[in-house]
Amino acid sequence: MGLFKTMNKPLQDNICESLLFERLYKKHAKNLHDFLYYKFGDQLNPEDKVQEAFIKLWQNCSKVAPNKAKSYLFTTANNLMLNAYAHQKVVLKYGQKPQKSSTNETPQFVLEEKEYHQKIQTALSKLTEAQRVAFLMNRVEGKRFKEIAELLDISVKGVEKRIYGALKKLREDIDEL
Amino acid sequence: MKREELIKKWLDHNLNTQEQNAFEQLEDYNELIKLDAALKDFKAPEFSSDQTYKTLKPEKTNSKQWLKPLLRIAAILAIGFSIYYYTTTLDTTVVTDIAQQTSIELPDHSTVDLNANSTVSFNESHWGETREVKLQGEAFFKVAKGQKFDVITADGIVSVLGTQFNVKQRDSYFEVTCYEGLVAVTHNNKTTKLKPGHTFVIIDGKLLANEKENAVQPQWLHGESSFTSVPLKHVIAEFESQYNQTIITENIDLSRLFTGSFTHNNLDLALKSVTIPLNLSYSKSEKSILLKRE
Repeated sequence: MGLFKTMNKPLQDNICESLLFERLYKKHAKNLHDFLYYKFGDQLNPEDKVQEAFIKLWQNCSKVAPNKAKSYLFTTANNLMLNAYAHQKVVLKYGQKPQKSSTNETPQFVLEEKEYHQKIQTALSKLTEAQRVAFLMNRVEGKRFKEIAELLDISVKGVEKRIYGALKKLREDIDEL
Repeated sequence: MKREELIKKWLDHNLNTQEQNAFEQLEDYNELIKLDAALKDFKAPEFSSDQTYKTLKPEKTNSKQWLKPLLRIAAILAIGFSIYYYTTTLDTTVVTDIAQQTSIELPDHSTVDLNANSTVSFNESHWGETREVKLQGEAFFKVAKGQKFDVITADGIVSVLGTQFNVKQRDSYFEVTCYEGLVAVTHNNKTTKLKPGHTFVIIDGKLLANEKENAVQPQWLHGESSFTSVPLKHVIAEFESQYNQTIITENIDLSRLFTGSFTHNNLDLALKSVTIPLNLSYSKSEKSILLKRE
């Protein structure tokens, strides 16, 4: 047992080891993508930035310790975004679900639902980036506070504050609209 | 439990059954659920790590770590080889200044005496294939026996087989004198063969009659420039090559022919040698000499 441990360890320690790199990719790529999307929207192609960040990680695989890989990726991708991003208003798309061919909903209901979505869209764009990322990671991606805290390297309390604050602000803005 | 606590626990997916019931009793429960459902429509586009990892892969394998140092070594080698190749195939060039003469030996032990203000270049690495020397100015060649030997000038090519000869090519002046052996001069695609003691002269595009030369070596090798019926302007040009002086002329016909010589070691004597036979006078200033009619 002890022998196996010592034999395996050097392999585990290096991101240049492609099995470990692949594991890091599978673990972080989606979260990184969602983080970028909810923060910046889709104008700047978050998927490309995810790939670029991982390529950078691979190029620097000998310099980045595996336990620092996550924050390296998030920082790199975030910077890549910021380089291209000129603080435009972030408008998230909605309703990518398939259209129902026949519906028993009244036209009025359909219209109201559309208006409601537009209100949410406007309200979401008014949240701070930090609020929006934490809130949508929680509400849409179903992540718990603790997971988000680990992802963003902040405290659980901080996450709770952001998410609850976002919910409050969102409801106020929707009522106003 | 307070309303805010319940909502926070709901947000964190952390309600137990009892709390769930209490949460459902909240007056804004329906509104929260409606909002929550609508928010799901803002989901980020599908991102499949399995799919995107595959598109990453080719780029990833390209930048293999061991390749980098290898590429560096390859680059250094490539640069090294090209510098080596460039320098070894580069022409060797020898240049003389005004009032300076030099003697060089070619790879086959042929010798070249280079007169003042002249340039000779040859390629050492290709010497075995072609014995070629490019010349601007004046030089005296003693060629070792062997294959063809060419002196390439702007005005023509001089080809020889083991011989001694002098080539002078300056502005619109081209002169070849053979001292030993046989020399072929190609000018404007016409080849003239020179026997020892013969000179081939082209001044301002005109071929002058071959002159008989009795000397064993050109005069300039012995510190004198000599001329036979050469227009004054070419004499002055040669003078400027031997002495670091600018010569200015006033009302003088530069096409007058001069026969004679001037020394390289004594400015006044040289000036007299040129001016007296032509009835000219000279006056010297800092860096220039003025020639005029007497």
